[in-house]
Amino acid sequence: MSGMKPVNTKAQLLTEAERSGHVEEVVTMESVAGCATTFDPGWEVDPFGGVASLCQPMEADLYGCSDPCWWPAQVPDTLNTYPNWDAGAPSAQNDWRELDAVFPKK
Amino acid sequence: MNPKTLLRLALLLPAIAQAASAAPKKDYIVTGSKPDRLFLIDAAARRVVGDFKIPGAHDWVGTIVPSPDGRIAYVLVNRMESIAGIDLGTGKEVFRADLSSPGERVKCLFAFDVTPDGKQMLVYEVPVKLGLSEYQVEPTRFAVFDTNAGLHAKPVREFPAPRRVHTLLTDKNDRTFFALGFDLYEYDIATGKRLETRGIRHWDHPGHSRPDLLAFWPVSEPTGIFAAPIYSTRTPAAGHGAPVPVTSLMTLNLRTGALAYHDVEKTSALIFSTVLSPTEPAAFGAYTQLTKIGLDPYRVEKRVDLPHTYYAVLVSTDGKEVYTAGAMCDVTVFDADTLAEKANIRLPGCGDQSVTSPRLVRR
Repeated sequence: MSGMKPVNTKAQLLTEAERSGHVEEVVTMESVAGCATTFDPGWEVDPFGGVASLCQPMEADLYGCSDPCWWPAQVPDTLNTYPNWDAGAPSAQNDWRELDAVFPKK
Repeated sequence: MNPKTLLRLALLLPAIAQAASAAPKKDYIVTGSKPDRLFLIDAAARRVVGDFKIPGAHDWVGTIVPSPDGRIAYVLVNRMESIAGIDLGTGKEVFRADLSSPGERVKCLFAFDVTPDGKQMLVYEVPVKLGLSEYQVEPTRFAVFDTNAGLHAKPVREFPAPRRVHTLLTDKNDRTFFALGFDLYEYDIATGKRLETRGIRHWDHPGHSRPDLLAFWPVSEPTGIFAAPIYSTRTPAAGHGAPVPVTSLMTLNLRTGALAYHDVEKTSALIFSTVLSPTEPAAFGAYTQLTKIGLDPYRVEKRVDLPHTYYAVLVSTDGKEVYTAGAMCDVTVFDADTLAEKANIRLPGCGDQSVTSPRLVRR
C-alpha cells in the first residue's frame, strides 16, 4: 500500500497490521462494542408500569446494574471499555459525585 | 515470664488448640463489597469478625462460593475475570485462577461452584478472542480447576457449555453438576457429558407463558435445595382477557435432582432471590420488601417493607433468623416468624455489596 496514506484510525491500524503480519485481524465492518445489546426499560419504569417497584433508592441499584453491564445504554461498560469508571467510588450513595460521564477513546 | 511458666504454657497449648477445634460450630455470613473487601460476620454476635482485602479485585466483587468446610471463600473478582480463594481465618489468598490470557478475554458470568468434596472448582467461561480491530466471540465452555492448585491455577480440563448460563450448582454425589441457563442442564463432572436437559424456558407448567428467571445467587444452604422466584403470565381462568402476571417458586433439590414449580401469587411485588427455611414449610424472598412464602399451601404469608433494596437473602441454620444483604453496605437481621427487624450490621468502609452473593457458612 505504498503511496497511500492512512487518514483515519482504521486505516492506521491496517497499515500497522501490514508490518506485523496481522492484516486479517483488521476488518472493514465495525461491530457493536459493549456488554450486550440489551434494551430493558431501565430505571424509568418497573414491570407494573410505575416506579414503586424500582430499586429503592436508585443508588442501591447503580453498581448492581453497572457491574454486570445490565444497562449498557445508561452506564458505561465497566466490564470491558471503562473498567475504571467507578474506581475510588465504592459507595454509590456516598460517592455518586465522583462518577463522571465518559467519552469515546481516540 | 519464668521458664516454669513457659513450660506449663507449652504443655497446655495442644489442649487449648483441641478445645478450640472442638468448639461448636456457629453460623457466619460471608459477604463482599467494593472495592476489594471480603467480610466474615458472626451472625449471632451481630459482629464483623473478619475484614479482608482481596488482591487484584479491580473494584469488582461478585459471586461467593464457600468451601464445604467453611474455611475458604472463593470470590469472583476483577471484572469477572478472576477467582480468588481467601482463607477466612487468616485473610490470605490461597487460590487464584486468572481466566484471561493474552489475546483472549474470558469472563465468568457469575457461574461457578466447588464440588462437595472441596477438591474441584467448576467455572463457566465466556471467551472472546481479541483481534486488532475486532472481537471474535468464541464458544462458551466449562473449565475444571483443582482447588489445591495455588495462586496460578490453570484448568485441568474443559468441555463445551451452552450459552447464557448464570448459575452452577454441584450435586451432592460429587459426580454431576447443574447449570441454569435457558434450561436446566445436568453434566457429568468427569466426562463433561450432558446427561439431561429439563425445562426452564421450556418449562412444563400448563397455562403459563415462557418464564423469566433471574438467578445468580447460588444459595442452597442450609437445606441443600436451591430456590428462585420465577415470573410468567397465566391465561385467565375464563380463557380470555388479559394474561395475569404470576410469581412462582422454582426449587431444585441438589441431592435428588427434583425440580418443581409452584405458583405463589398474582405478582404484586418483586422478589429477586429466595431461600428455603430448614425448619418449616416456608421460603423467604428479598428485594425492596421481605416476603415470607408459605409452602403448604403456596402463598404469601407475610410481607414487610425494607429500609432499602437488598438483592440477597439468607436464613440461619436453626431457621429462626433471616438475613438480607447485597446491594448497599449493610446486613439486616429479621425474626423469621414475625419478620420484625432485630439488628443491623453495617460493613466497615460502607462499600456497596452490589451483585455479590452473600453466603451462610458453618465454622
